[in-house]
Amino acid sequence: MVQGEESSWRMASAHERVALPFNQALAYGVQAHAAAAAAPPACFLDFQPAAAAAAYFGELEEALIHGGASASVDPSMIKSDVQTKSAGYLAARPPTLEIFPSWPMRHQQQLHSGNSQSVGSTPDSSSAQNTMSQMELVSPASSAQRQEVMMVTTDDYSYKPGLAAAAAPPPPGPAAAPSFQQQPMQLHGGVHDKRKHGSTRKDGKLVDTKTERRLAQNREAARKSRLRKKAYVQQLETSRIRLQQVEHELQRARSQGLFVGGCSAAGDMSSGAAMFDMEYARWLDDDSKRLAELRGGLQAHLLDGNLGLIVEECMHHYDELFQLKAALARSDVFHLLTGTWATHAERCFFWMGGFRPSELLKILIPQLDPLTEQQLLGIYNLQQSSEQAEEALAQGLHQLHQCLADTVAAGTLNDGAAAANYMSLMAVALEKLGSLESFYQQADNLRQQTLHQMRRILTTRQAARCFLSIGEYYRRLRALSNLWASRPRENFIGTESLSPTATELQVMHQQQQNQFSGF
Amino acid sequence: MQYAAAEQAWYKPTAAMAESAVARVERLASESAVVVFSVSSCCMCHAVKRLFCGMGVHPTVHELDLDPRGRELERALARLLGYGHAGAPVVPVVFIGGKLVGAMDRVMAAHINGSLVPLLKEAGALWL
Repeated sequence: MVQGEESSWRMASAHERVALPFNQALAYGVQAHAAAAAAPPACFLDFQPAAAAAAYFGELEEALIHGGASASVDPSMIKSDVQTKSAGYLAARPPTLEIFPSWPMRHQQQLHSGNSQSVGSTPDSSSAQNTMSQMELVSPASSAQRQEVMMVTTDDYSYKPGLAAAAAPPPPGPAAAPSFQQQPMQLHGGVHDKRKHGSTRKDGKLVDTKTERRLAQNREAARKSRLRKKAYVQQLETSRIRLQQVEHELQRARSQGLFVGGCSAAGDMSSGAAMFDMEYARWLDDDSKRLAELRGGLQAHLLDGNLGLIVEECMHHYDELFQLKAALARSDVFHLLTGTWATHAERCFFWMGGFRPSELLKILIPQLDPLTEQQLLGIYNLQQSSEQAEEALAQGLHQLHQCLADTVAAGTLNDGAAAANYMSLMAVALEKLGSLESFYQQADNLRQQTLHQMRRILTTRQAARCFLSIGEYYRRLRALSNLWASRPRENFIGTESLSPTATELQVMHQQQQNQFSGF
Repeated sequence: MQYAAAEQAWYKPTAAMAESAVARVERLASESAVVVFSVSSCCMCHAVKRLFCGMGVHPTVHELDLDPRGRELERALARLLGYGHAGAPVVPVVFIGGKLVGAMDRVMAAHINGSLVPLLKEAGALWL
C-alpha cells in the first residue's frame, strides 16, 4: 500500500505536475480516513464563499496529502509548481469527501513547505472545465499563498474506461465503497470500485496511453487555470492599490480645501440632499392626494368656502415645498441646481432649480378661461414683472459665474497647485460659491410669490383649477420621464416597438380626458 | 468754541457714531427717489441694479466698500433690517422715496405683487 503510494507520487513528480485522477484521490482519501478518524471536521464549518472551489477541493487534496503523509512519503518528493502554490493541508480529513463543485469549503491553511499540488482538471468535458476555471478564478489570493485551487472537475468523478489507472490498493477499495456511497456523488461509487479493481493500475508500470494523454491534458489545464488565477489576482491587487491611492489623494485634496466635485456624484450624496430627496418623495405623494381632492371638489361643485379650504391647503403644500428647497439650498445648493431630484422631463424646463414662473403662467392662462378683463390685466402684469425679475436674477447669476471663472483662473494656470496665491484664490472662490445659495433662494422666492399672486387674482374656483392644472402638468412631465426611461430600444423592430408606448399613451390620453371632463 | 466742538467731535462715543451712521443712511436714502446700498463685488446687488434698469429706473447706488465709513453704514443697515445673523450679506438694500423697502427678497415680492411700480411712480422714479 505504501509502496503503491510512493510510486504514484514519484510518477507524478516525474511529470513536474501532480495530476491525480479522482479515483486515486479517493483511494488516498480512504487511507486518510483510516488514519484520521479523529480529524476535526472543522474545515466543513469554516466556510468562506470566496474560497469556493479552492476550499472544496482542498478537502480532496488534504486527503491526498494526508494519505501521502500517513504513508510517510516525503512531501518534498512532490515537485513544486513553477508557481509555487503551496497547498495548505491539515490533519486528516473526515471520511466523507464532499467533492461537489457547487459546495465551496475553505480548506485549512497550513503550509506544507514546498509542497504544492494540483489536481489536474480534466478536459474531457468542456463544461466541467469551465466550471473549474470559474471556481478557480473565484477563489481569492489570500495573503499567504496557502490556498490552492483544486481543480477537480465533476468529470473526474465520471469514470471513463481506462482512466481508472488507480494505484489504489485493493484492500481499502471495498472498504471505501460503502463509506463513499453515502455521498450524493457516489452513484459511481460502485462503478468506481469495479474500475479500481479491474483497470490497469497506475503505479508507474502499467499506464495506458489514454490515461497518459488524459493526465497530460489535466496537467495542461491545471497549469492554464493557475496562470489565469494568478493574472486575475494580480489585477485585483493592483486595482486595490490604485483605489487606495486615489482615496488617499482625495483625502489630501479635500484637506487642502478643494472641493472634489466629481467624486460626490451618485455614490455619496450629502445628507442634506438625501433628506431632501426623501421629503420630496413624500411631498409628491401628498401632491397626488391634493390633486385628487381638488378634482373631487371641482366635480362636486363644492361651495366656495369648502373649495377655498382645499385651495388653501394646496397653497400651504407649495409653501412647504419651497421651505424644503430653501433648506436644501442652505445645506447642498449643488443638489438643488443640478436638479437630480427631479425627473428628466422636468429637468428639461428647469430654470434656476425649478419652474420658470413666466413659462408656467403662459401655460396656465389658456387653462383658466374665462377670465375677466381685470384678471387678465393682472395676470399679464404678473407675467411681465416675473419676466423682469427672472431677467434680473439671471443676469446676477451670470455675473456670479463670470466672477467665479475669473477667480479660479486668476494668476497662471500652468503652475497648478503650486501657484503663488493658490490658497487665497481658492478662498475667494469658495466665498463666491457661497453666494450661489442666495440666488437659488431668490429664484424659489420668486416662484412662491408668483403662486401667491395668482391666488390673489383668481376666484376660488379658478384658483382650484389653476392648482389642478399645475399639478397635472408636472405629473404628466413625470409620467413622460417614466415612459421615456422604459421605452423599448430596438429600433429595427419598427412598429412593434412603438405599439407598447402607443397603447400607454392612449391610456394616458383617456385618463386625461376623463379628468378634465369636469371643466 | 470751535475747538471745543472739534475736540468734542473727536471724543464722541461709539454709540453716537453708530447713530450718526443710521442718520447718514436715512439722509442718503432721502436724497434720491431710488437709493440702493450695494457692494461692488456683490452679484445680488448687480441683479437688483439690473432689475431697476430693466424697468427704466435709474437708482442712486452707494457702494459701501468704496465708502470710508462703509462698515458703519452696513451695520446700521443691518440694524434697520433687523438682521440677527452675522456674516450674511446685508446688501443690497433698497430705499424708494426715502422709505425702506428692504433686501432683494422684499423687492422681488413687491414687484411680483404689483406694489413696486406704484411706489416708484409715487417717488417720481417712473413715468408711464
